[in-house]
Amino acid sequence: MKRLLFAAVAAAALAAPVAASAHPLGNFTINRYSELDVSGNRLYVVYVLDMAEIPTFQAREAGGVHAAAYVRRIVANVHLTVDGRAARLRPVRDELAFPPGQGGLNTTRLEILLAGPTLSGRSAVSYRDRNYADRIGWQEVVAKGTDGAGLLHSSAPARSISDRLLAYPKNLLQSPLKVSSATAVVVPGSSAGVPPALISPKELAERVGVRNVADSGFARLIARSSFGGWFWPIALAIAFFWGAAHALSPGHGKSIITAYLVGSRGTARHALILGATVTITHTMGVFALGLVTLSLSQFILPEQLYPWLNLVSALLIVGVGVSVLRWRVREWRHAREHAHGREHHHHDHHEHGHDHALGLRRLLGIGVSGGIIPCPTALVVLLAAISLHRVGYGLVLIVAFSFGLAAAMTGLGLLAVAAKGIFGRVDVGGQAIRLLPAASAMVVLGLGLAMTARALPHVT
Amino acid sequence: MTNKLMIGFAALLAAGFAAFFGGVFDEPAAQAPSALAASQSAEDFKAGFALNASTATLVESLQATLEANAKDEHTWALLGLAYQQRARETGDPTYYTKSGGALDRALRLDPKDYLVYSGLGSLALSRHRFALALKLGDEAHALSPTTARNYGVIGDAEIELGRYRTAFRDFNTMTRLQPSLSSYSRVSYGRELIGHTAAAIKAMKLAVDAATDTAEPTAWTHVQLGKLYFNHGRYQAAEREFLLANVTFPNYAYALDALATAEAALGRLHAAIDYERRAVDLIPLPQYVATLGDLYTVTGHPVLARRQYALIGAIERLLRANGVRVDLDIAQFDVDHGLRLHHALTLARIGQSERPSIDGDDVLAWALARNGQCGTALHYSQLALRLGTQDALKFFHRGMIERCLGDQVAARTWFQRAFALNPHFSLLWAPVARRYVA
Repeated sequence: MKRLLFAAVAAAALAAPVAASAHPLGNFTINRYSELDVSGNRLYVVYVLDMAEIPTFQAREAGGVHAAAYVRRIVANVHLTVDGRAARLRPVRDELAFPPGQGGLNTTRLEILLAGPTLSGRSAVSYRDRNYADRIGWQEVVAKGTDGAGLLHSSAPARSISDRLLAYPKNLLQSPLKVSSATAVVVPGSSAGVPPALISPKELAERVGVRNVADSGFARLIARSSFGGWFWPIALAIAFFWGAAHALSPGHGKSIITAYLVGSRGTARHALILGATVTITHTMGVFALGLVTLSLSQFILPEQLYPWLNLVSALLIVGVGVSVLRWRVREWRHAREHAHGREHHHHDHHEHGHDHALGLRRLLGIGVSGGIIPCPTALVVLLAAISLHRVGYGLVLIVAFSFGLAAAMTGLGLLAVAAKGIFGRVDVGGQAIRLLPAASAMVVLGLGLAMTARALPHVT
Repeated sequence: MTNKLMIGFAALLAAGFAAFFGGVFDEPAAQAPSALAASQSAEDFKAGFALNASTATLVESLQATLEANAKDEHTWALLGLAYQQRARETGDPTYYTKSGGALDRALRLDPKDYLVYSGLGSLALSRHRFALALKLGDEAHALSPTTARNYGVIGDAEIELGRYRTAFRDFNTMTRLQPSLSSYSRVSYGRELIGHTAAAIKAMKLAVDAATDTAEPTAWTHVQLGKLYFNHGRYQAAEREFLLANVTFPNYAYALDALATAEAALGRLHAAIDYERRAVDLIPLPQYVATLGDLYTVTGHPVLARRQYALIGAIERLLRANGVRVDLDIAQFDVDHGLRLHHALTLARIGQSERPSIDGDDVLAWALARNGQCGTALHYSQLALRLGTQDALKFFHRGMIERCLGDQVAARTWFQRAFALNPHFSLLWAPVARRYVA
């Protein structure tokens, strides 16, 4: 389970480009949260410690994070007074988890439930957290009353703006919070209330996974909890739309497809074959990468596989470019030879039949190269679907997504074919038209080489 | 109110983003007091400052203004800059993200505000995107040719890109436009680069004098001045400045790290460890972590040292995950510690091409030398010393290269020069050089 989520998050990191920090407060912060909760007639404190990758790494190097030791130390540094007298806070329960962070490192999240005194009447409560006083990080204190208890005055808000350090606000007008103390006048309830609950690592994993996933539009679908009557068609339409939009983002060889179809006397049929190839390859690619990620996530991160996939796709395009160019050159030589001598009807026919098989193979090559790099978002959806036990739903979404992707590319292909048709009929200067196929082969080859050059340095 | 805020802010910016370095070559000693007195804006400056001594307060009032009117472009720009100053003060990188967000908002509202480009430029500098910073600085300059701040952004970027001549000219212009902490400190840095130490110290003292009541820039200037003393073996004077910085702005990682090096040079290794540990706890920059590891090594704590060195590996992974391709500090660390030397050379090559400054040249020279390519190393070492910079570590690297090339006499001379300048230039390598000289 954990491994799965880890993989999902690693893939999510890919979906978001540069500098999307998995830990929104930087990789070295130590964030602290205290929730004073008067439940019925007893005062509780929920303490949450959230350490980013670097402090977690340091703690592990120094012998590991052991809940008992951390709880002891944290309790020793929180101070509670009730009506001016120091009151004891006793640890009742704790939950320790190591949510995955960036660069294959972990973060730490420790939740502690502390039980304070029972209160018999209106009391003035003052609380101070002195843990990690010099360390940089989010510091938040919340105070509230439940099960019949209430607060008269409180210096702290009743609701967390960070959802207990699970979702730091992205509001540009919100400075990182630095509150480590609170005072309140509380009116307790008359009988015992329900102690506040902690988030178990399992629940945490799901919430963190879903939150990470939910950052991108398409992936948000998988985290939806309601499945109304109209939900399915809408979900499929959204997935389709995201696939199409994704195809229009940079990459995916749009220019290559156009160049190829323009250059190779492509027809609408070719454009459709291309679209189908892209859909199938992309769907299979996502599934395959998903499987690899699941089974090998201990050894390989998806981010390590991507450079290789990029390279394979680039080399495929170079191959297609070379093959088209060779074919063009040969054709051109034939044309020259025969222009001087006999008529070339016979040869034309011969070439055409030969062309067809070759053309199909090249077409498949281009389609595969366009679909072989699985969209990270789709991968995230797959992994998240598995972790949320909605595998079937995830698969359907991905197929719809791939269809969208293919539809956009086929559409572009058809446009190219149509444009070429017009071009061809107008017949502006025979020479230019004759050069076009060769030029397009050069474009395909050039793009392939450029992609290879870009992919190579990342493959080490 | 907003107007006063803006003026206060201008002051804060000028003082604040003294960024990484400073330079200029006029003789500012005579010019400075009169320039300050004559400057109309200097008075506004001080008025603004009295109002906004604390950046935190300034940030709050800017936020409040924007809560009331989210379309106030100029306030978004000012907030973007104030967040950068907060990032420097607190070390919390969230502020950089927020600064970028605020400046983007301002840019969308008004794509013609020079302050936005200038702010995005300094943000790019702090993210080590020097070419981008230069472009943004140029755009800001085109929109407002007489703003000193823009020259600071451009000059800082040029320094990192190795374009010293134009950088120095820009720092000169900057100082003429607005003599201030940030322009004087840049002058000082420029003088240090060309080896005019006494003049550099003089300019940095002017920067200290020009400091206003915003604590962080003042502390920063004290650290810079202290580092000048340190680089010339004046450890007591250096320590005094570092302590002043630490008093001016307590819990300042930059001052704590500097204090650690001074204490180590003065032979107080345990105090040094204490300071460096605090610096690393605040902001785990790779060079702080490396120094702490080295301090553990020289005091005979190999297990603790290994932990710090392992942490550098983790930091490198995080940098990569965040899209930072290469960090010269990490390349230097690997070379210094004989780790993955071949890989380190690759890193140094990329680092030097992205940052062809004398520091980039020096790291590459050192990496080449440690990989046995001493002929090429000599070329880069010559580049690294082309400005006449008095830097003991660069001298030492040159000595090692000469030694590798078999010129023992030249090597000895370079080692001696390094020692004469700063006998404690490196925890790990100064003892090595001492053996070779003896």
